[in-house]
Amino acid sequence: MNKIYLLISACLLLLPLASETVTAVELHQQIDALLAQSDPQFAEQQADPSSDSSFLRRIYLDLLGRIPTAAEVQVFQQQTGIQKRTQTIDRLLERPEHARHMQHVFDVTLMERLPTKHVKIEQWQDYLYRSFRENISWQQLTWDILSTTGAQPESRGPARFLLDREVNPELVTRAIGRVFLGRDLQCAQCHDHPVIDDYAQRHYYGLVSFFSRAYLFNDPKNKQSSIGEKAEGTTKFTSVFTNEEATTFPRILDLPAITDPPVDKEPYLAKPDKNTRGIPKYSRLDQLPEAITRADNIAYRQNIANRLWYLMMGRGLVEPLDMFHEGNAPTHPKLLNLIADDLHQHEYDMRYLIKQLALTKAYQRSSLAKAPEEGGAPRYTAAQMKPLSAEQLAWSTMQATGLLETTQQATIESIANSKKDETSPEVTDWNSFEIHLEATVNKKLQEHVTAFVTAFSRIDQPGQFNATANQALFLGNAPLISTWLKPKGNNLTARLIAEPDTDKLAKELYLCVLSRLPTPEETELVARFLGDFPERTTTIQELVRALLCSAEFRFNH
Amino acid sequence: MKRNVGCNMLDHAVSRRNFMLGATTAAGFGGLLPATWAKDAEKNQKQILQVYLQGGVSQLESWDPKPGTELGGPFRSIPTSVPGIHISELLPHTAKMMHLLSLVRSINLETDDHSQGRLFMEKGRNTPFVGAAARNTGVYPFLGAVAAKYLDSRDTALPGYIHISTRGIIDDTAGFLEPQYAQFKLEGVKAPENLDLPKNISKKLYMARNDLRSRLDQQFAARRRKSYIDALGSSFNQASKLMDRKGLFEAEQDPKDLERYGTHDFARNCILGRTLLERGVTCVKVTHHGYDSHAENFNFHLEQLGEFDKTFATLLGDLEDRGMLEHTLVMIYSEFGRTPKINHRYGRDHWGSAWSIALGGCGIQTGGVIGKTNDKGTEVTDREVHGGHLFHTYLKAVGIDPAQNHDVPGRVIPIGDPAVAPVEELLA
Repeated sequence: MNKIYLLISACLLLLPLASETVTAVELHQQIDALLAQSDPQFAEQQADPSSDSSFLRRIYLDLLGRIPTAAEVQVFQQQTGIQKRTQTIDRLLERPEHARHMQHVFDVTLMERLPTKHVKIEQWQDYLYRSFRENISWQQLTWDILSTTGAQPESRGPARFLLDREVNPELVTRAIGRVFLGRDLQCAQCHDHPVIDDYAQRHYYGLVSFFSRAYLFNDPKNKQSSIGEKAEGTTKFTSVFTNEEATTFPRILDLPAITDPPVDKEPYLAKPDKNTRGIPKYSRLDQLPEAITRADNIAYRQNIANRLWYLMMGRGLVEPLDMFHEGNAPTHPKLLNLIADDLHQHEYDMRYLIKQLALTKAYQRSSLAKAPEEGGAPRYTAAQMKPLSAEQLAWSTMQATGLLETTQQATIESIANSKKDETSPEVTDWNSFEIHLEATVNKKLQEHVTAFVTAFSRIDQPGQFNATANQALFLGNAPLISTWLKPKGNNLTARLIAEPDTDKLAKELYLCVLSRLPTPEETELVARFLGDFPERTTTIQELVRALLCSAEFRFNH
Repeated sequence: MKRNVGCNMLDHAVSRRNFMLGATTAAGFGGLLPATWAKDAEKNQKQILQVYLQGGVSQLESWDPKPGTELGGPFRSIPTSVPGIHISELLPHTAKMMHLLSLVRSINLETDDHSQGRLFMEKGRNTPFVGAAARNTGVYPFLGAVAAKYLDSRDTALPGYIHISTRGIIDDTAGFLEPQYAQFKLEGVKAPENLDLPKNISKKLYMARNDLRSRLDQQFAARRRKSYIDALGSSFNQASKLMDRKGLFEAEQDPKDLERYGTHDFARNCILGRTLLERGVTCVKVTHHGYDSHAENFNFHLEQLGEFDKTFATLLGDLEDRGMLEHTLVMIYSEFGRTPKINHRYGRDHWGSAWSIALGGCGIQTGGVIGKTNDKGTEVTDREVHGGHLFHTYLKAVGIDPAQNHDVPGRVIPIGDPAVAPVEELLA
């Protein structure tokens, strides 16, 4: 009797524990559960898990910004153990190349390929790279970018966001609305948005108001631009529809306005003039980072959750990414809230969220759909096809053709040689060696990346893929790529030319370019192509080019 | 008769290449390339010719002269083929073609900024985002991109919107439209970049490569998003076609054409422009550079318009003779005009608030003048219009309803600014 009683009470005790373990399930499991729940046909229509080789290619592109090497594919395929994908994700997130990739991603997100004006591009790139190497939180990044005036040498990098938009209230307001709040308020500039009910003119001018006293200060001494601020100025706006005039204090969307304190007799710490950057005692601009990142600004967490989801999953839960409003509901509202809140609880740790997303079954599914989607809202029953960014395409092409490895090899040799002279004392362990190697190779190959960025400067919107004839001409004919295809040292073309066995040649080609082994039919295609033309070198070059121009290479799938 | 020589020569070149293509197809490598060239522009296909006078042509030295007035400058006005319409004596050839054009003399853009004025004229919306900052921020498309998207339903061999220019301002012309509608820019009559096959690669090998790529893509497309793979495929097809039409960009222009048009860059560009229109390109823009005459305005205009006048009049005449004006809207425009006030360097400065353009061809009621400026040319006194009204007018002239929304997923965007309407009096 007692025993039974004890048992029952033990069970009762365990009940709340059990339900707690349910909520303590990892985020990636909750995501998969929600996706499956949201769609009655999900279980039936979901694609198979991706193969090892397609998972590896995908995760390398998403985390390192390039395809894996042939050796990396082979090693991964030979590994056993159910944790190998998780281990790979963990390992890649620690690599310097991951920080570099995130530098590219956030450069485009924040600056949208605007030309540089006031800040040296290296300072900006270096700021982003270091931030991601240290796994900076989105909140910290927001503070860095929005609280800096660019007056101190160490704040030049993050100041680019505001400075290269000339601290122009219209430009920075639009950018902040889009990048940090997921709302393009431009159409609410002259009147409440004509078709989107919840974009009001007061929202636009609430943001403008943070900047209405700021100005671009050009220091006559060092010719450097930074942000100065005045101690007065109000923001007025008039609707062109109703002619109603209103004023506003700084505010984020419908959160409370931030009123100015009473004005001091002497309102300046530094009074603005031709030679002095204005610094008021009370700065409206200083209120911005706090106002935008505070916990009750749900738009802030939803925006970044949606952007990171898009980065990994290839589609936004809200699209366009900068069109959050009532009339444009998320495809999976619960999911968006779940991720946004979880990211908030994890103090905006982006690496954490990226890892969780990479661990989902949804991420790791094959892109071969059982019910292919054309148009309509994404259901995530299969992996989405993501066009490679200009940077991903550049690094992947350099990887495939062997240029990247050749450059790495040469760099390692020069490091080894210089070590003898003890000129690079900082390289003392593997970690710092890896960082040094990556940075050197990145610098050496930067001009090639720039060439790709020029050819592919257009930023694809989520759910859209655009290809132009100019891009096709670049991929198909550009002398730059031709030089990488010239047989040289141990590069891909040289290795293929030296390989007498067609089966082995096809294997090497497919592993290096498409990160997988060829099917027998594909090997046959390769053999036929080689057989049709007598001149081996040019034929092999064109064979490689065909694969480099293929959709399978052009997309992350 | 003689005027058609250039065209015949091109046709000849084309059919010769057709023959060669046929030969390679027979050898088994022609899978991707079309067996025939795209048909020439069909009669019912609406097209646009934009002649852009970059820098801001002076309305006083062109379409709205004020001879004998305080600020009118040294040039006289001359009668035109339309009784009652007088234009500057710097445009004697164009004056003879005036019955094919109409003038708008009452444009007020309320901006004197090059970039803002240009974008207002091209997009029909006044955008606060000017200069380099306007790039890639999801802004409105240019007229040419709109035309390429909504007028160009045929599988044209060439891009739908081609700009022939000798300088390099790179605009995001497609805005939120798909980039295949973006301006394809030609630097004069020079061929586009990367049009040449890689060194030592034969045409046959190139075609085999392209064929292999296409086969791989077909295989890959199964159970994947077809529209993406199709878009990629069509970009390579378009590239192939451009490569095959290299001759179009590189061929020596007909001496008889050069004799009639002139041998300067603008003349050569206009000859190419005509050829492209004949080939069915939806919107061809030809830029004539160098009207920003802050100093020596009169000498500059004498020289610039001297180049423009004969060449443009010849082009307009050719379009008329070939029946192309029926389906081709012609517009001659700038980003703004020039100040009536003459500065101390004998220049005229930027002036967006009272200036003129000329229009003709498809959908346009010709031989008319819309609007007026005051005697000194300092203000619009009648029928004031801006870039928005004109944008509506261009669209309506070629049969696009500017009140319709753009075909862009996820956004509701009217094609023309809903706050304004077309200049109905200009429409035929």
